[in-house]
Order: sequence, then structure tokens, then C-alpha cells
Amino acid sequence: MNDRNEENLKDLFEKFLDSEQAERNAEDIRKGEEILREHPAPEPDGEVIADVKAQVVRELLGRERSVTKQVVYKVAAVAATFIILATVSVKLFEKGGGPGKVVRASVMPAALWDSEDIAADDVDLAILTAEIREIEEEALALQLGGNGGNGQIDLEELETELMEIDSDFWKG
Amino acid sequence: MAKSDDLARIIDGCKAGEAESFETLVDIYGRRCYGYFYRLTGNREISDDLLGELFVKLVTKIGSFKGGSFESWLFKTASNVFYDHLRNKQRQRKLLEAQKRQAISKLAETKKSEGERIDELQIQLEKLDAETRELIMLRFYSQLSFKEIAKMRSEPIGTTLSKVYRGLKKLRELME
Repeated sequence: MNDRNEENLKDLFEKFLDSEQAERNAEDIRKGEEILREHPAPEPDGEVIADVKAQVVRELLGRERSVTKQVVYKVAAVAATFIILATVSVKLFEKGGGPGKVVRASVMPAALWDSEDIAADDVDLAILTAEIREIEEEALALQLGGNGGNGQIDLEELETELMEIDSDFWKG
Repeated sequence: MAKSDDLARIIDGCKAGEAESFETLVDIYGRRCYGYFYRLTGNREISDDLLGELFVKLVTKIGSFKGGSFESWLFKTASNVFYDHLRNKQRQRKLLEAQKRQAISKLAETKKSEGERIDELQIQLEKLDAETRELIMLRFYSQLSFKEIAKMRSEPIGTTLSKVYRGLKKLRELME
């Protein structure tokens, strides 16, 4: 410990004390520190120094692993975000912007539409048309009050008749 | 002591995470820091642990060293490590109050075995108050000027000068 800092203790003390006192105090400090030099502290064992170095290396490796982990997590998080965004975008496109499904709509009964027996279909159509015409006439009569009967009963009869026609028709 | 250019290179290496640079740092400062810890604790085993803690802490803290006196920064960190140890010791002491009898007998045994190894200076140093002892050791082992120590401790230089002067004077009287 011979290369101690080169500050001038006397000058330092002279900022607070007179020259004589400053010289004495500086000397007291030098003598005090001389005692510390004369009684050196024990040195650490070579084993301790080696152990400290090993601890430092372990810490460095731990930090490296931690940094690598952080990078991997960040990359994984970014990739997951992209995947989620892509999935959501595809779903949204399918719902809104993509070609819609063709919806089959028909005023004709499906059974009739799909049937290949044209002759039977013609007879059915003829009966259906006749019945519709009959119902139309009855409805007109009701509107005009021509049959002179009870309107509520007439309506119920008409409804029943319509249901029967519907049922019969679908039964073929 | 390493030349300032060499030291700057070593510190740069440490900042880059080079194990060799840290090992060099341990070689340069390990003994001085050990002496500092030993004179404050009077215990080799604790000093071994604190030395390890200090250099492991340097691995995480070296990035915060922004230049200036490295010794000042290093010993400030060492001082923090020592005070952390003291706080832990106080915490442990509180925990031990519940097991007072066992603790007392254990401490007595420890003191006896330590006492066999403690030198005269260590015995007299323990008669100084903790702050003065720490200040004297900081001055001696860090080799910092009074101006740097005062700056580190955020106190006027006259205060630092006066504390070290009184502490060393008392130590001289005790040693005579």
C-alpha cells in the first residue's frame, strides 16, 4: 500500500486549521495509517479467489441464458401475435368479404321440384290449382259476406281446409 | 495497480460480459476488498462470502459504471454489500431472539473460535464505532483521497477529514 494517493494532507488541514496544527494533524493521520500497514489483514486463500471467479462465471452464464430465454420468449410472442392476427383476419374475411353461400329459394314445394314423375305432378298441380281457386272464391265470399253465415266459423273452416290441403299435398 | 488504460480495457471487457476481464478484476482488487471486509467483520468466513457477493454484484452492476474513479465506484459497492450484510445480521438477530438461549451459547462459541485468530489490531478496531471503523477502512483499502471519499459519502470534506483523524488518533492510543 505504498502508492497511496498523492494528496497533501497538510494543505488539506490548513483549510480548517493554522499551519502548525495542520502539520500535527497530518502527522497523526500518517502515523495512524502506518499502524494499518504494519498490521496487514489476512489475505484470501487461493481457493477463495478461485471460488469467487467461479461464482462470477456462473453468474455470467446465468445472465447469458436469461438473455437467450428473453429473446426466445420475445420471438415466440411476436410469432404468436402474427398467428392470432392471421387467424382472425381469415375468419373476418370468410364472414364478411368472401363469396357468400348460394341460398336456394323456391316458391314451389321441394317434393314437387325434385320429382321426376311428370304425369303425376301434372295431376297434383291441377288438383292444387283447383283447390286454390276454390279457397280464393270462399275467401272472396267471406270478404263480401255473401254466404250470410258466421264469419268466425267460416274462417276456422277455411283454415282447417287449408291445413288439410297442405297435409294431403305433402303426403303425395 | 493496473494502469488507467489497462483498467479501462478490463472494464470494457467486463461490460461486454467477458469472464476473463472479471477474473482479472478479481486478481487486481480481490485482496484489497477482502482486507476491507475482514477489518470490518473480523471473520474470514464472512469475508469470503462478502467477497463473492461483491464480485457477483459487479457482474450485474458494471453497466452502471459511467466512468470516473473505478476504485470509488467499487468501494461504494463494497460498502453497500457490507451494510446489506449488517442489515441481514440485525434481521437474523431479531429472529434469534425467539431462541435466545441457544443463540447465546452459539455466539459465545463462535466468538471464542474467532478470538483465537483475531490479531491485536482487529481487537482494537472493534472498540471504535462502526461508522468510524468503516471510514478508516474505506480510506485505507480504497486508497481514495479525502475529496473522493467525501464525495462518495455526500458529506463536506472537513467532516470526513475530522472523522478519520479522530478515529485514527483513538486507534493509535488503543494500540500503544
